[in-house]
Amino acid sequence: MKKWMLLFILLLSVSTVLGACGGDKEGEMGEDGKGVNQEITLNIKTEPPSLDPGLSTDTTSAWVLDHVFEGLYTTDEDGNPILGAAESVDVSEGGAVHTFTIRDDANWTDGTPVTAADFEYAWKRVLNPEVGSRFAFYLYYIKGAEEYNTGNGTVEEVGVEAVDEKTLKVTLNAPLGYFDKLLTMWTYYPVKKELVEGNKDWSTDPETYISNGPFKMTKWAHDSEIVIEKNKDYYDESTVKLNKVTFKMVNEATTFYQMYKTGELDLISTLPTDVLEAERDSDEYLVVPRYGTYMYIFNVTKEPFTNAKVRKAFSLSVNRDLVVDNINKAGEIPAYGMVPPGVATPDGDFREVGGKHFEEDADEAKKLLAEGMKEEGWDTLPQVELLYTTSEGNKKIAEAVQEMIKKNLDIDLKLVNQESKTQLATVNQGNFQMSRMGWVGTFVDPVINLDYFLGGSPNNRTGWVNDEYDSLLEQSKIEQDDKKRYDLLHQAEAVLMEDMPFIPMYYNSNTYLTSPKLENVAYYVNRQPFLKWAEKVK
Amino acid sequence: MYFVKRFLAMFLTVWIIATLTFIVMKFIPGDPFATDADVFPEEVLENLRAAYNLDKPVPVQYFLYMKDLVTFDLGTSIVSNTRSVNQIIGDGLPASAILGLLSMAIAIFFGVILGVIAALNHNKAIDHISMVIAIIGISIPNFILAPLLIKYFAVDWRILPVASWGTWQHTILPALALSTTPLAVVARYMRSSMLDVMNQNYMKTAEAKGLSTYRLVVQHGIRNAILPIITFIGPLFVSLITGTFVIEKIFAIPGMGRYFVDSIFNRDYPVIMGTTVFYSLILVVTLFLIDMSYRFIDPRIKLTSKGG
Repeated sequence: MKKWMLLFILLLSVSTVLGACGGDKEGEMGEDGKGVNQEITLNIKTEPPSLDPGLSTDTTSAWVLDHVFEGLYTTDEDGNPILGAAESVDVSEGGAVHTFTIRDDANWTDGTPVTAADFEYAWKRVLNPEVGSRFAFYLYYIKGAEEYNTGNGTVEEVGVEAVDEKTLKVTLNAPLGYFDKLLTMWTYYPVKKELVEGNKDWSTDPETYISNGPFKMTKWAHDSEIVIEKNKDYYDESTVKLNKVTFKMVNEATTFYQMYKTGELDLISTLPTDVLEAERDSDEYLVVPRYGTYMYIFNVTKEPFTNAKVRKAFSLSVNRDLVVDNINKAGEIPAYGMVPPGVATPDGDFREVGGKHFEEDADEAKKLLAEGMKEEGWDTLPQVELLYTTSEGNKKIAEAVQEMIKKNLDIDLKLVNQESKTQLATVNQGNFQMSRMGWVGTFVDPVINLDYFLGGSPNNRTGWVNDEYDSLLEQSKIEQDDKKRYDLLHQAEAVLMEDMPFIPMYYNSNTYLTSPKLENVAYYVNRQPFLKWAEKVK
Repeated sequence: MYFVKRFLAMFLTVWIIATLTFIVMKFIPGDPFATDADVFPEEVLENLRAAYNLDKPVPVQYFLYMKDLVTFDLGTSIVSNTRSVNQIIGDGLPASAILGLLSMAIAIFFGVILGVIAALNHNKAIDHISMVIAIIGISIPNFILAPLLIKYFAVDWRILPVASWGTWQHTILPALALSTTPLAVVARYMRSSMLDVMNQNYMKTAEAKGLSTYRLVVQHGIRNAILPIITFIGPLFVSLITGTFVIEKIFAIPGMGRYFVDSIFNRDYPVIMGTTVFYSLILVVTLFLIDMSYRFIDPRIKLTSKGG
């Protein structure tokens, strides 16, 4: 170890001398004023499927995109939306027309200014049916967007217009209480027209990659690593401390854990269960709630889950603490509603305000089951199958639930597992009684979670349709007063939990190990760690 | 004539494999665009299916695919909607091939030596030890060996990096882990083949002529005994250079091994087809070349249809 240190010091001094001879090389060494090399390496686990913001649909790609791009809104250190590439916004009377002024100093990495036309082009491109963007529907709030995307309208009718170089006028179908949150999403990032139209492979090659965020991409070795460096043309350049970030793609948990332990990685996430035990008490260990819900959905069109009391009986029989504490062990929070913690509202966190919608209670469950069976005139229940996606974790949880249902309701659940795409096909065909599902909000608002169970939502595979629920959500979307809006959402959640077309199990979490040398990383409930303010200290 | 026939048969084989894969692939339930995370409205799905020709009847899809295949256009991946299958193979093959060639070199070199030593010491202690080593090599799966190598070489002794790719140091542990099984197989083949050769009359003649042990073993023995190994090297070569799922995953190697497996889970049709066609193409070409090479290695084999 000492020999290596000596060699390292020798090399360092040689290179310093050489550097001094070569003139102002110092800046390129990646050091800050205090002599700390502002370069870090972290693990994003897999190759990002797409770094074209208009086409990307996954959190890995978003991790990189959030660092190299910036939308009209961005997030502050706590995850709240704040103005980004836009310096101001003017909302019309009634709230449907938003007029944004783009910052004068917002620049692309090639030095040219970011214009309103860049946003207009980017959004209309996402909506172009020929582009086949999977997240186009996140833009359907804009007037004429859905019509254009579905082939029933023209691009001219889409309510996005660059009035002049720096002014972008956006017309929505109706006022939208969470438009600022929505605008932090990568699908709304700008792209350069000349770039995208000139080269269809622009987003796969760092040589041709132009973006407008705090960092810029300088290397992409596919399936191995992506390197981003500080963007000197970024308007808030002085905030960014890190000069270079390397995103490694190491998917095997044991491997990335060992790379962290040997110092090859400075930040890792999603720790394997055996590591959780060992690292639980470490200062480097961090649990961050993740804005998602692990659940079992019921098919309410198939017996016995046609009966709400039977559904409730199942839900009340499950001991969630046991699953979270003894099986997962990663700091998840037991769920008694649909919306996870993490939504700041005027009255406090949405989850705390809403509270628990039910209590686990084996006796009550037995009573409900008996009542439900009596209502339906059943003497026995039909065989119930629980379907889950093949994985070790899902299996353990399903087995625990099987035990609990047996113990509390004396019902034999049959467990069936299918590989993920097959399971989805089965569920989409309605060929199930109860099935494991998960839902993670793309942005932090209860609407995104509750929309899951809308009568017309493609996500809602339960067959449960409730007009009161749909109408409450409808009202919440146009409600401009935040307090009233959240109140409507609380009411909607109460309706949902009364009928209980699903068993909420727990709210997800993410676990991290962060090197003590790395400070000021922003950890969010629905996005990956953000490094805009991060700094290396030793 | 035989040459031409074999050459044509090669393409026929690839075509049959491609067709069968296409049919089987279409029978797997599941939709490449299905996800439990974000569900796209039907209109968006229609746009997507149209972009990948999946809106057309299956026979039409088949002909469109075959048409592109003739020009070596393998299409665009559904999962990575910005990268073509040609790019994926082009990016992944070098890393896989480097590891594959390295581990094959280790396997053949040490496998042959181990096999020959065992044969020369037939039924003696060295023979038994060599074969026990070989059996251990075959029976320890490389996903057990790989973490052990990482634990000692990277974590405890800090001599080599844990994983990832970029420098020659990164190639050593995965190549070692990858080579043990083929090494053991080569050693066992080599031993039995060498024993066989040593009982041949020409070996006795050579010994009677008074040749040195070195010339006897190397020129007459190994040269003849290695033929069966060459037969076995063909498929080994192809499977090693196209990457292995497990080792590439453990060591985070940017190879193409993962795509053979992941593409199926993702129902990434263009990638399933592309990797299968690519694999079968280099397999048949390699087998063809090996067949041809026999003629040069062993003049006794004639390239006639009768001999084939």
